[in-house]
Amino acid sequence: MIKRLLAATSIATLCLVSAASAAENVEMWVRSGIGDAFKKVVEAYNSGHENKVVMTEVPFSELVQKYATAIAGGQAPDALSMDLIYNPAFAAAGQLEDLTDWAKSLPYFNSLSPSHVRLGTYQDRIYGLPLSVETSVFAWNKDLYKKAGLDPEKAPANWDEITTNAEKIRALGDDTYGFYFSGGGCGGCMIFTFTPLVWGAGVDILSADSKTATLDTPQMRKAVDIYRNMVKKDLVPAGAASDNGANFLTFTNGKIGQQSLGAFAIGTLVTEHPDINFGVTLIPGVDGKPSSFAGGDNFVITKGTKKIDAVKEFLEYVYSMDGQKIMAKYGSLPTRGDIADKVLEGLDPRMQVGLKAIAVAKTPYTLQFNDLINSANGPWASFTNAAIFGEDVDGAFSSAQSEMQSIIDSGQ
Amino acid sequence: MTGFGSEILLPRRRRRRKSNWRGLVYIAPAMALVIVFFIMPVLFTGWMSLHNWPLMGASRWIGFNNYVRMANDSRFMTALNFTAYYTVIVTVAIFAIAFPLAIFVEKERQFVSAYRTIIFLPVVVGLATASLLWVWLANVDSGFIGPALKALGLLEKSPNLLATFDTAFLTVVVMVVWKIAGFTMIILLTGLQAIPSELTEAARIDGAGRWQRFRHLTLPLMRKTIALALIVSVTGSILAFDQFYIMTAGGPQNKMISVVYYIFNQSFVSFNLGYGAALSIVLLAILVAISIVQLWLLRVGEERP
Repeated sequence: MIKRLLAATSIATLCLVSAASAAENVEMWVRSGIGDAFKKVVEAYNSGHENKVVMTEVPFSELVQKYATAIAGGQAPDALSMDLIYNPAFAAAGQLEDLTDWAKSLPYFNSLSPSHVRLGTYQDRIYGLPLSVETSVFAWNKDLYKKAGLDPEKAPANWDEITTNAEKIRALGDDTYGFYFSGGGCGGCMIFTFTPLVWGAGVDILSADSKTATLDTPQMRKAVDIYRNMVKKDLVPAGAASDNGANFLTFTNGKIGQQSLGAFAIGTLVTEHPDINFGVTLIPGVDGKPSSFAGGDNFVITKGTKKIDAVKEFLEYVYSMDGQKIMAKYGSLPTRGDIADKVLEGLDPRMQVGLKAIAVAKTPYTLQFNDLINSANGPWASFTNAAIFGEDVDGAFSSAQSEMQSIIDSGQ
Repeated sequence: MTGFGSEILLPRRRRRRKSNWRGLVYIAPAMALVIVFFIMPVLFTGWMSLHNWPLMGASRWIGFNNYVRMANDSRFMTALNFTAYYTVIVTVAIFAIAFPLAIFVEKERQFVSAYRTIIFLPVVVGLATASLLWVWLANVDSGFIGPALKALGLLEKSPNLLATFDTAFLTVVVMVVWKIAGFTMIILLTGLQAIPSELTEAARIDGAGRWQRFRHLTLPLMRKTIALALIVSVTGSILAFDQFYIMTAGGPQNKMISVVYYIFNQSFVSFNLGYGAALSIVLLAILVAISIVQLWLLRVGEERP
C-alpha cells in the first residue's frame, strides 16, 4: 500500500517537474475587491496557452506594502496588477521593468487608455500599461423601489431624492435599508464613492498641485451632512460603521435600496447575482451635478524577472479582442479605445453608464496617496468615519485637515 | 608562608580555568542562537535607526534625527498612551480572573483536570485565529453577542460592538482575557503547588484565618511566580498588535493604535524603515526599564522567605 502511494506521489512530482520545465509559470498578484474580470481572463488564458499565470489575490488595503516588502526581500512576483495611483511611486523607486520599446511596438499603443499610460510614464519611460478601467457609479435596486411605491425606472437626480427614497425603502421592514457605504475607515472605498459628491460641486480635498489639503469646504460639510442625516435616520445598516471595505458589495444581498458602487460591481452583479434587478446612474454631487472617480489598475512587471517574455505574451492576450471581451463582461471597461465599441457590443447596457462616467470623472494624482487616502489609519480614512459617525464633526474636520497637511509637508 | 600558599592556589586556579572553558562550550550553542537572533538584529536595528532608510531605494545617514523627530511626534505619544492604558487594564483584568481560577483548580477535587483543561484550551488557539473568531462573535448582523442581546430582549437593536471605542475596547479586552487568563493561571498554579502544606497547616494551627493565610503566607511565598506572570503579561500587552490589527484595524478613528502597530505603519505602510527602527529601539528600552522596575518592586533577587 505504502509502496503504491510512494510510486503515485513520485509520478505526480515528476509530472509537476516536467510541466514546469516545459512551460513558464508566471506569478502575478492582484488586489481584492476589483471583481472577477481579471480572474476570468487568467482562467481563459491558462486554458488556451502553454504558459500559465498563477494568480494570488492580496487584500486591496495591503497590496502596496506587501509588494514593497516582497521587493525588499527579493520575493516579488513577476508581475502585478497595481492600482494605477501607485504606479509613479514604484517607477520612481526604480523597481519596475522598463517597457517603453515593447509598448511602442504594439500596433494599438496609441489607443490605450491615455490617463493610465500617463500615470505609468516616469521621466519619459513607460513602466506601466493599462489593465483595467473602472469608474464609480450610483446603483439602485429596482425591485425595492417598486415595493416602496417608487418609479423603478426613474434614476434619482440629487441627494434629497436619494434620502427620501431611502426613507421609503427603510419603511419596508426590519432588515431592508435605504442606503449603504463602507464607513468603518475604508479610505479607498470612500475616495471612490464619496468624493464625487464634492467633485461634482467643483471642489477637491487637495489643491491642484496636491501641496495643500483643502478638506474643510462648505461643499464637504454639506456632503458629510447628507450622509450623517441618513445614518441618524437609521437608513443605513449599523454594520456600515465598522465596515473596513470587506462588505463593500453589501448591495448584492438584495436588501439595500441604493449604493454607490464601481463598474466592476456592475459586472459582478450581472454575472453572479442575476436575480438582483438594478439600475445604474452617475453619482450626483451635493448640488446635483454628477461626478465620478476614474481608477483602475496598471499592469507592471517587477524589475529583473526572468519570465518577461511569458508575461508579455499574457498581456498581449489581455489586449486581444477575446481578452478585452472577457474583461468587459465581468465589469472592467475596455482599455483599448480602438475596439471599445466592438467589445461592449451585446453586453449589458448598464456598462455604458460606467463608460459615460469617464467624461465627468477625476483621478487624484499624488505620490502620497497611500499615506493620505488609502491607508486604513490615514487621515482620510479616519475622517470619513469620525465625521459621519462621530459626535464631533468640527473636530473631525480640523484634525484631518491638519494631519493631511503635516503628511504632505513631511514628504516635501 | 607565601610559597606555601601559591603552591596550593595554582592547581586550583588552573582547574577553575579549565572548568570555565568547559562551561563556555556547554553554553556556546545557546549563546550562538542569542547572538545571531537577538544581539545582531538589535545592533542592526540600532544602525538602521541612524539612517533615513526607505523600504525601497538607498539609505542616507542622518545621525540622531529620527530620535529628535520622535520627541515631537504626537501620534507616537498617542500610541504610547493608548498602550499604557491597555496594558494596565488588561493586566489587572487577567490577574483578577487568573488568580481565583488558580486557587480554584489547585485543590484536588472532582473533575479538576477537566476544569484545568477547559480553562487552558483558549491558550492553544493562535491569537490571530482568536481575533477573527471574536470579530465574528461581535458582528452586528451575523455574529453572536449582539443578536443574542437582542433576542433576549435586553436591547432593542443589535449593537455594533466594534463601531465605538468603549465597546470595541471592551470586546478586545474580554477576548484577550479569555485567551490569556488560562496561561497565567497555569503559572500561578505552579507557584501555589510549590508552597509546602506543612506551612499552611502550621499557620492554621496558630489560628490564622483564610484571608490572613492568603495575605501573609501565600502571597509572599508566591512572589517569584507572580513576578514571572506579571512580566509575561505586561510585556505581552505592551507588544500587542494582532488583536488591534485584525479586530478593529486600529479603529474606530485610529483610537486603538498600539506602539507596535505604529511601528508597523511607519515601517511598512509609510516605508520609513529607519524611523520604525528608532521607534523599536525606544520600545526596547522602555520594556527593559519596566521589567527592571517590576523585578525591583517584587525584590526577586533577594533571598527572603
